Amino acid sequence: MTTRLVEGSEAVADAMMRAGCRFFAGYPMTPFTEVLEHMAAGLPELGGVCVNAESELEAVGMVWGAAAAGARAATGSTGQGLSLMQESISEASMAGVGFVVLNMARGQGDYYQATRGGGHGDYRTPVLAPTGPAEVAELIAEAFDLADRWRNPVVVVGDYYMAHTWVDIESSADAPAPRPAPGWTLDGSSGGSGAAKLVSPLGTTKQRDGVGYDLAAHYDRCARRRIEMTAGITPRAEQVRTDDAQVVIVAYGTMALYADAVVNDLRAAGHKVGLVRPITLWPFPEEQVRAAAEGADVVAVYENNAGQMIDDVRLSVLGAVPVVGLNGFSTDSSAFGISPDVTVENLTGSILQLLDEHSGDPT
Amino acid sequence: MSTTETTTTPVEIPSTTRADWQSDQEVRWCPGCGDYTILAALQFALPDMGVRREDTVVVGGIGCAARFPYYMNTYGVHGIHGRAPAIATGVALANPDLSVFVIGGDGDLLSIGGNHLLHALRRNVNLTILLFNNRIYGLTKGQYSPTSEQGKVTKSSPQGSEDAPLIPLSVALGADATFVARTHDMDRKHMEEVFKRAHQHRGAAFVEVLQNCNVFNNHAYEQITARKNREDMIIPLTQGEPIRFGPDGSKGVVLDPKHGAVVVDTADVSEDDLLVHDEARDHPSVAFALSRLSPNMDEPTPMGVFRAVDKPVYGERNPVTEQPPGRQLITDLLHSGSTWTVD
Ligand code: SF4
Repeated sequence: MTTRLVEGSEAVADAMMRAGCRFFAGYPMTPFTEVLEHMAAGLPELGGVCVNAESELEAVGMVWGAAAAGARAATGSTGQGLSLMQESISEASMAGVGFVVLNMARGQGDYYQATRGGGHGDYRTPVLAPTGPAEVAELIAEAFDLADRWRNPVVVVGDYYMAHTWVDIESSADAPAPRPAPGWTLDGSSGGSGAAKLVSPLGTTKQRDGVGYDLAAHYDRCARRRIEMTAGITPRAEQVRTDDAQVVIVAYGTMALYADAVVNDLRAAGHKVGLVRPITLWPFPEEQVRAAAEGADVVAVYENNAGQMIDDVRLSVLGAVPVVGLNGFSTDSSAFGISPDVTVENLTGSILQLLDEHSGDPT
Repeated sequence: MSTTETTTTPVEIPSTTRADWQSDQEVRWCPGCGDYTILAALQFALPDMGVRREDTVVVGGIGCAARFPYYMNTYGVHGIHGRAPAIATGVALANPDLSVFVIGGDGDLLSIGGNHLLHALRRNVNLTILLFNNRIYGLTKGQYSPTSEQGKVTKSSPQGSEDAPLIPLSVALGADATFVARTHDMDRKHMEEVFKRAHQHRGAAFVEVLQNCNVFNNHAYEQITARKNREDMIIPLTQGEPIRFGPDGSKGVVLDPKHGAVVVDTADVSEDDLLVHDEARDHPSVAFALSRLSPNMDEPTPMGVFRAVDKPVYGERNPVTEQPPGRQLITDLLHSGSTWTVD
């Protein structure tokens, strides 16, 4: 094991290769570009393939082809590129093809795109939002496992700060061998009988069983699989000092790093403030948010957008406690980085004000 | 990829017949559709291609042609409209041992999937791409397509379409495709020969199959492909032979410096003036000139292999061994470039 100082994007790429990813395709877009570059540098050494695609449409198309042929495969982009990929993500979900999609977002304006999806049809994608290199490695590996387990695309949300902050990672010289191709893939390992495998979003089979083309039955199976998947993924969140908190902040990704710092400072000054950091954005950690909100005066959602995750927080709390948004920030005019309004000082001020407004019982 | 390690011993190819390549699915095209003969031709040709069913993948997009994967007793992907070349590229690169066919129509591969097609061709991915050109959108019941003739009146172009058509072979040659051929649905033997050649080719093979959509664009190629018209209207391309056609070879093709490939009466030129067909010409310009003959499919039309050249197949190039900068150790980076000492 050696410790290396690397750019966040390289930590992401390293995690993907260690998780057994052997096919990657992407189209340059800041801040996703560096992940593509690191995959292009690293994959051939591992016997893998990295393609600079002609567009995000082609990248995700190739990735679902590679996944259908048995490879652990991934693509990614930044919000706009993910918009282009939605068609394939929803169709691959219906076809039962699993792969990982990174959204190295510029802000948090893609929360809805990630958690609801912009594609057509009755599909969902699990969404993981790591912070810090150790969690990046852990959740990227988990994302591939989920993609295999549920044969469904899985989204990992990163951002500009994750991509461009230098971090230290532990790495050994060799990456583990990729897992063997799953039995359902087009791997040439079973005979071409009447049941020869077909990957199709329409669920069509080649068997003479009278139901070769029963779309309703296929969609029904997909819906049941979706429900099973939702129930089968344990929602996760990190709780920071929420026990007796009067103000509970909910934040994910980079915004949670600010909130974490503010919570610790305010606690040191004797204020009862806590943080819930959703790690799975879908399924959303409703239980954890609800439990943390119990006994609090107010729940404050801190997100770098006009208010998206706040809807999930409201659904979790179900009116038991007032929910307010500490949002209305956006990224700067070029959509790079983070709004100048996102500072520890501003967040501290907002929370002190909330404590003031809700202090029926001064401490 | 590592999956290639599983086939260290040469695989035995069991002998098959057409029936082995037919799936149990009921074939559902309109009665009389040209797709039936194309399907038959491919299934008749496959036993001679030296490939196992379980190593064969047929990838379709969306459209009448793209229903092929259902009917082939092979692996298959029925994908997304236009995306078949991208999906097939992923399949071929993830498992280079597979024989991957892409089947699509003119709408699937030249409209919505035009970009994917171009890039699969220019990269020379090992794919056999069969484009069934019926010059119409069939599945959606008859709108003009990117290969429909200008002025085509359809339900979505009641005043006649304004768009100039694409010539699929010119597009493929423009992308420097390494194998480019044309065949048609009225000649099963010719299709079989062309499909075998295309499959044999290492790299991206592109075949245009003129296909009749008898419901929405009937007789689109009748002037050329009807048995009675073939002698006058089909220009067979034979490797190494001067290009001649017509009764007793009375017509031929010459290269004219001003007008590219032109059809002449052989009586008016000397034998030496006739263009000798050479599919292995490295430069695609002569093949391109041939592809411009009969742009509206109403004049004598070349049929056969226009181009077949050897180029490195995508993914088979020797990997670059030099250490890329992203993998350097931080200490190396600190000592790279200009360094100086602060006193
Ligand atoms: S619509 Fe045309 S192309 Fe489609 S199946 Fe019918 S005849 Fe064939």
